[in-house]
Amino acid sequence: MIVRALGLAACAALLLLPLAGLPYTTTLLLPAFGYAIALLGLNLLFGTTGLLSFGHALFVALGGYTAAVLTSRLGVRSLEIVLLAAAATAVVVAGPVGLVCVRYVKIYFGMLTLAFGMLFYSFLYKFYALTGGDEGMRVLRPVLLGRPLEHLDTVAFLTGPFYYYALAVLTLAALVMRRLVASPLGLSLRSIRENAAKAESLGVSVRRYRLAAFVVAAVFGAVGGALLVVPTGLADPLLAYWTHSGNLVFMLLLGGFDHFFGPVLGAVVFILLQDQVMSLTSYWRFLFGAILAVVVIFFPRGLMGLLDPRRAPAP
Amino acid sequence: MLALRDVDVYIQASHILRKVSLEAAPGELVCLVGRNGAGKTTTLRAVMGYLRPAGGTITLAGQPIGGLPTHAIAARGVGYAPEESAVFGDLTVAENIELPTWTRPGGRPAAERVARAYDVFPRLRGFATRGGTQLSGGERKMLSIARALALDPALLLLDEPFEGLSPAIIPQLGESIAAIARLGPAIVLAASNIHHVPVYASRLYVIERGEIVFAGLPQDLRGRPDLARIVGQAL
Repeated sequence: MIVRALGLAACAALLLLPLAGLPYTTTLLLPAFGYAIALLGLNLLFGTTGLLSFGHALFVALGGYTAAVLTSRLGVRSLEIVLLAAAATAVVVAGPVGLVCVRYVKIYFGMLTLAFGMLFYSFLYKFYALTGGDEGMRVLRPVLLGRPLEHLDTVAFLTGPFYYYALAVLTLAALVMRRLVASPLGLSLRSIRENAAKAESLGVSVRRYRLAAFVVAAVFGAVGGALLVVPTGLADPLLAYWTHSGNLVFMLLLGGFDHFFGPVLGAVVFILLQDQVMSLTSYWRFLFGAILAVVVIFFPRGLMGLLDPRRAPAP
Repeated sequence: MLALRDVDVYIQASHILRKVSLEAAPGELVCLVGRNGAGKTTTLRAVMGYLRPAGGTITLAGQPIGGLPTHAIAARGVGYAPEESAVFGDLTVAENIELPTWTRPGGRPAAERVARAYDVFPRLRGFATRGGTQLSGGERKMLSIARALALDPALLLLDEPFEGLSPAIIPQLGESIAAIARLGPAIVLAASNIHHVPVYASRLYVIERGEIVFAGLPQDLRGRPDLARIVGQAL
């Protein structure tokens, strides 16, 4: 009950924020929306299926670079097309990568995803002519729903139409994910997480379902990544770097992976916290390490576990 | 329905099953009796595709299934309730039973399969929204069998369904298994004790050190005092 009330209040706050005349806070939330979408995907893999990826940033970067290539090289400015292209690219890449990765579980899966993430990072970094190397690629301001909105300056564009656009995509992503988790696919994935051998004996094709989860996670990652690069106007190789994957896992643990809204909360809190702590001290990574340790030891279910303690703690 | 011919199974370097042959026809309840470690579970796991036979053939309705992946064997209609139950604790009782109706579509409608599972184990109906971890040992056994039944199996493998249960619940579970037998699937039931073999068992196999040492009707055991030690009965 309290959680529902808090959730409604949070939704209302998010809807009204741009009207409150806080452009800084409003732009701060834009990356949180992108991350939240990517994390919904990552959590299908980790929270639902039990596979922890340390290479999810690969797909975030893939989405980011898709947006960059389309807007600055190919002249495609429609954000709807950019998002669809990011999703399609993710499917094309995650198919073969996933085929290799889902043959393994636990640490081996984690290390393989890490390896693929770093492979992609090296590709982005070294293939200067294609990707711009360490300078990255520019992401031009996209056209939303066919409306150029050129009369708006960048801040007005980001805190107005783009803010609501990103929020709408996040809402849609959450609705789709919610349906997925409640579907037979979600049921099968949860059975795999608990006991893959037993799930197999009930006719669940474990490898195929794990691959499906991997590809869906990649699509969410790429869509989130495409939204992530619009405010900064830049896609750079660090998007694919392993520390970025680590940040995604951090956000997930912070928000709580065994609650549906854990990823969304984790993304928002991480971004706001990072902003606060970075403005206070240059040792923000040190502080974040300490926070991660405290979360893992004392709040293994993350912030959502504190807000919604009804369910039994994850074993 | 199910036929094993001269099946050999090795686990690492150990020769666990030696030329095991076994058959179960539709509507039959076949019991595999033997002491702990004799090879009962290995036999069932080999049928289920967890272990690959080194020799011999396993056929289901005339089709060879040796070497198929486990999920493909389940999809052909083999339900498996292992000894340790392995109920999904994070899923509710209803979700546990529902799962195989999705993984093996076709045949009877899902609603009918779920209803059949609850009809056989009416006690579970009251627990539908409970988590799998909130069940007693006997209830977990029931759920494990109910879930295998929801697969709409042509063959049901039950590994030691009575093991570790309170004596009070054993007759109840026995009646449920009888009810399943009346529904028509072939059943292979592994038991370590002859007292756990239901009176309505069609046939009996006795396994010892990976070999089938007796195959026949339960009453034929009377003439085999040498087997009494194995099956735990004063004959």
